[in-house]
Amino acid sequence: MNRSTLRQFSFRVTALAILLFSVSAGSTQTPSGDEILNRIDQNLRAANRISISKMTIHGRRSSRTLIAKSWIEGSRRSFTEYLAPAREKGTKMLKLDNQLWTYSPSTDRTIRISGHMLRQSVMGSDLSYEDLLEDQELRKLYTAEVTGTDSTLGRECWVVQLTANSTAIAYHTRKIWVDKQRYLPIQEHRYAKSGKLLKTTQIDEAQKVGERWFLKHAVFKDALKKGKGTEIEMESVQFEVEIPTYKFSKASLKK
Amino acid sequence: MIGFLLKGLLRDRSRSLFPLLTVASGVALTVMLHGWLYGVLNSMLDVNAKFQTGHLKVMTLAYAEQEEQFPNDLACTGVESLLVELRNEFPDIVWTARIRFGGLLDVPDSTGETRAQGPAFGMAFDLFTATSPERRLLKLQQALVRGRLPHQANEILMSDEFARKLGVGIGETATLLSTTMYGSVAMHNFTVAGTVVFGISAMDRGAIIADISDVQRALDMENSAGEILGFLDTLQFEKERTEAVKMAFNQQHSDPDDDFSHTMLSLRDQNGLGELLDLIVMALSLVVGIFLFVMFIVLWNAGLMASLRRYGEIGVRLATGEDKGHLYRAMLLESFMLGLIGSALGTIVGLAISTYLQNHGLDFSSFSKNSSLFMDNVFRAQVTPGSYVIGFIPGLIATVLGTTFSGIGIYKRQTSQLFKELEV
Amino acid sequence: MILIPQLAVRNILGAGLRTWLNVIVLSLAFVAIILSVGFNRGLLQQASTAMIDAELGGGQYWQGEYDPYDPFTLQDAHAEIPEALANLISSGKATAILAAPGTLYPDGRILPVTLRGIDPHQTILEIPSRFLDATAETPQALIGARMAKSGNLGIGDYVTVRWRDRHGTYDARDIVITQIMNTTVPTVDTRQVWLPLRTLQEMTNMPDQATLVVLDKNQTQAPEVAGWSFMNLDFLLKDLHDLVKTRLIARSVLYVILLFLAMIAIFDTQILAIFRRRKEIGTLIAMGMTRSKVIQLFTLEGMLHGVLAAGLGAIYGTPLLAYFAKNGFEIPQSGAGFGLAIGRTLYPYYSTTMVVGTTALVMLVVTVVSFIPTRRIAKLNPTDALRGKIT
Repeated sequence: MNRSTLRQFSFRVTALAILLFSVSAGSTQTPSGDEILNRIDQNLRAANRISISKMTIHGRRSSRTLIAKSWIEGSRRSFTEYLAPAREKGTKMLKLDNQLWTYSPSTDRTIRISGHMLRQSVMGSDLSYEDLLEDQELRKLYTAEVTGTDSTLGRECWVVQLTANSTAIAYHTRKIWVDKQRYLPIQEHRYAKSGKLLKTTQIDEAQKVGERWFLKHAVFKDALKKGKGTEIEMESVQFEVEIPTYKFSKASLKK
Repeated sequence: MIGFLLKGLLRDRSRSLFPLLTVASGVALTVMLHGWLYGVLNSMLDVNAKFQTGHLKVMTLAYAEQEEQFPNDLACTGVESLLVELRNEFPDIVWTARIRFGGLLDVPDSTGETRAQGPAFGMAFDLFTATSPERRLLKLQQALVRGRLPHQANEILMSDEFARKLGVGIGETATLLSTTMYGSVAMHNFTVAGTVVFGISAMDRGAIIADISDVQRALDMENSAGEILGFLDTLQFEKERTEAVKMAFNQQHSDPDDDFSHTMLSLRDQNGLGELLDLIVMALSLVVGIFLFVMFIVLWNAGLMASLRRYGEIGVRLATGEDKGHLYRAMLLESFMLGLIGSALGTIVGLAISTYLQNHGLDFSSFSKNSSLFMDNVFRAQVTPGSYVIGFIPGLIATVLGTTFSGIGIYKRQTSQLFKELEV
Repeated sequence: MILIPQLAVRNILGAGLRTWLNVIVLSLAFVAIILSVGFNRGLLQQASTAMIDAELGGGQYWQGEYDPYDPFTLQDAHAEIPEALANLISSGKATAILAAPGTLYPDGRILPVTLRGIDPHQTILEIPSRFLDATAETPQALIGARMAKSGNLGIGDYVTVRWRDRHGTYDARDIVITQIMNTTVPTVDTRQVWLPLRTLQEMTNMPDQATLVVLDKNQTQAPEVAGWSFMNLDFLLKDLHDLVKTRLIARSVLYVILLFLAMIAIFDTQILAIFRRRKEIGTLIAMGMTRSKVIQLFTLEGMLHGVLAAGLGAIYGTPLLAYFAKNGFEIPQSGAGFGLAIGRTLYPYYSTTMVVGTTALVMLVVTVVSFIPTRRIAKLNPTDALRGKIT
C-alpha cells in the first residue's frame, strides 16, 4: 500500500476524469462555464468505454511501465485488469460506487479495501483510495466559471475555474484549460481549500477517436512533491461498446 | 628463598589457606561482577541489536535516510553477492539479510473474500537456511504461545493478540496486502504456523514474522533486502571491532553522491544507542570502581589478620635473632606469592563462572509473568579482555599492600618483651 | 558479670583498624545498594513522570474510535467534547487534544505526520504550547527536536502540510515552526506536529471536537463518559513498568555479589577472632558461661559490624544520597533515543521502605555470616581452649 500502488489508481482516475470531457467545434464567443462543461460532456461522455493504457511510473530509482485494460460504465462502475508486466498480469480491481475490491490470481483472494483504509494515505502516498473513487461528473460537483483564455501546450484554451458546491469533495477548487477547438481539457490544476496547488495534469498529446478528441499522452504530478510524476499513454480506446453486466460483479474478478 | 617460603605456605595451612581463599574469592567475585555487568548491559542492547540495529547494519544511503518508514523501494539489490562479499571480507561477523514491511493482513471467509483485516507490521528473517544465525539469535521458541515455528515455505508467526483479533487460527490462511519493491499491489497467502508474544504493545497489536525468501517473493524483492545485519561471532557488541569493520566497509562502498551506494552503520550510530552505551559504561565503571575499593579493603584487612594470626611465629623468629628487615621482606615476598596465586586462582574461577554464565545465562523467567520475544528473561555474563585483569591486578596489589601495612608492626615489637609474650 | 552486649561492644571497638575496615566495606555495600536501587527507581519514576507530564497526565479519555496503534482509525477518531469533559476542561482539570493525520512536505519530500491540536493556554501537559498563537495568520507549529531533525526544520521555517478535513476535502497550507522543544518523550515528538487546538479544529472543520482529553495529573476522579473510554496510568505505562521490572531482576545479581564480598570480610574476621581468642573462650566457659552465651557474644560482635556500618553509611551516605537526589546525575549526552523518557539528568528516588529494607537485609546477612563460624565454639572443650588448642 504505498505511493506507487496508488499511482496506478490515480492513472485510472485521471483517465476517467478526462473521459468526462468531450470535444466539439470551437466557438469564438466566450461560453459560460456550464456551457463548456456541457460541451465537454456531450462530446466525450459515453455510456461505456473500453481502453488499454500504458502507465509509466518514475520512481526515485527506476521507471517502470504497467499496461492495463479497463472496462468503464458511466462513473459508477469500473473494472480493470492488468496485462503487463508478468508479475501484475491477472491482477484485477473492481469498483462499484464507493467500494473497491482487488483480486490477485497468485493468491486467489479477493480483498475488500474499505473503511479507514479508503480515507488513509498510507506510508507517504500522494493519494488515498477514496481519492480515486471521486470520479463523478464534474458538472454535478462543481460550479464552473470561465476566467479567461490562455495559450498552453501550443493550444488556445478557455481557462475554467471549478469550485466545489458541496463539502464532501476531495478538491475544493480546480482550474482546467480547455482546448477551444477540441474541447479537451488539456491541463488541470487541483487545489486545496486554502488555494494551494496540489496536483497537476497535462495532456501533451491528443488523439482523435471517431468524432472525439481524447488523450494520447498525459503527465500526472503531485505538485507538492519533487519528482517526474507519472506518464499515461492510451494505446487504444473504444467508446460505446457493449459491456456485459457480469463484468462488474465480484465473480468476474476470479475469472 | 622463594622455594623456602613456598614450602612454608604449602605446609602451614593456617598461614596460607585462609588468606589465599580470601584473595581468590575476592578476585573471583570482582571478575564475575565485571562480567555480569557487561553482560546485562549487553542484554539491554540485545533486543535492539537483535530486532533492529544489529551490531552492524548495511543499507542504501537512501533507505538509511528514511529508515523508520522501511522504504523497500530503496532497498539493497544484489543481496546475494553482497552477502558473499561481506562474508569473505569480514568472516568473523555473521551476516544476515532482513526485510521490514507494512501492509494489511486479511483473513478470508469460506468464499475467499475478506472476513477480517487489520494493519500489519512485518519482519522477515532468514528462518530456513541451515547456516542462518536467525534461529539462534531470535529465540522464537521461547515466545511461542500457540502452534509451532515456521518450517516450510509461506508459514508465518503472528502476534497472539493480533491473531485473536482477526479470528485466525493455527493452520489457517492469512493474506498479506502490501506493496512490491516497485510500487505495485502485492498480495501473498501465508499460513499461520504459530503465535507469539512480543512484549511490546505496539508489536502485539499487529506484528508478523515471516521467512525472508517468502517475503522476497511476495514483495517482488528477489535478491533484494531492506537491510543486512551483522553480528559479531560472540554475539556480544564490541565497539572497537565494529568500528573497524564499519570504517573498512564504508571506505570501499559508501559514496555520498550515490543514493543507492551502501552504507554501514554500527549499533552505536542508531537509536541514540552510542550515547546510552557511553552513559552505561560510565555508570558501570563507577560500580566496578566502588567494588574494587571494597575488595581492596577486604584484602587489606585479610593481610592485617594474617599477620595477627602469625603473631606468635613472628615473635619466635625475632627472638631467635632474625633480622627485622629480613623478616619484613620475607613476609612481603610471601604475600606477593600469595596474592599472585590467589589472584590467579580467583581470576580462573571468576572467568570459569562468567564463561558458564555467558554461555548458559541465568533464567529469570519464573520471576516475570510471561516470556516474550522482546523481553529476554535470560541474562548472561560477558567475558571481555578486561575480565582478565580487573580482578587480578587489584587482588595482587591489595594483598601485598595489606602486608606492607600490617608488617610495620614487626618493627614495633620490643625484643625484650618477646619472651614474656611467648611464655603463655 | 558484664552483660553480653556491653562486652561485645567493648571487644569490637577494641579490635581497632580491623573492625573499621570491615565496617567501611559493609557501609559501602549499604550505600552502593541504596544508591543503585535509587537510580533504578529514579529511572522508572523519571521516565513515567516525563510521560505523565508531557503526554499522559492523570490518564486519558480516548474518543471511541481512537486507537494509537492503528493509524487508519485516526481520520475518524474525533468527536465533540462531551459536557462532562468540557466542564473538566473549563475548570482547568483537563485539556483536549485533537489529532488528525497529515502529510508534511519538507523540501519536496513526503513525511506522514500526526497533526495535534492543543490549547496554547493549557497547563495540564508540559508541552510548551504557549509558543503557539492561535490568532496568527499562518498556522504556528511546535515540533520536537527529533521531528525537526527528520524534517530538516528549524525555528522560523515554513513547511507545507496537507491534510483532509472531516468531509475528506484536501487542504494544504504552509505552516511556520515557531518553537522546537526538547522532550525526552518520543511519542510527543517523532512525527508529531503541534498546532493551536482552535486552528486545527478550523483547518479540519471539526469545531469543538477532540480525539483525546487528558486529565490533570492530580485529578483522581474519572467519571464515565459515553462514547469515550478512560485509560488509566496503569494501562498507559504498562510497557515501561514491564521493562524496568526486568532490569531490576538482572540488577539484583549485582547486590548479591556485593553482599557476598562483604560477607567474606565478616566471615574471615569471625574465623580469626575465634582462632585468636580461643583462650578467652576457654576462660569464659571455664568461668561458667554457657557455650550458647559465648556463641551469642561472638555473633553479636559480628552483628555489631552491621550496626556500625549502618551508622557510618548514614554519616557519609546521607549527604551523598541527598546530593544526588538534589542535583541528580548528569548524563553527558541525551540517551533519550533509547526510547526511555529520561532527561539529561537522572535523579535517584529513595523510599523509606527501600532504605529500611536494604538495612534489614544487610543486617540479616551479617548476622547469619557472623553466626556460622561460631558454631565450632559449641564443640569446644574448655580445657583444650584454655591451653590454646582449637579443633
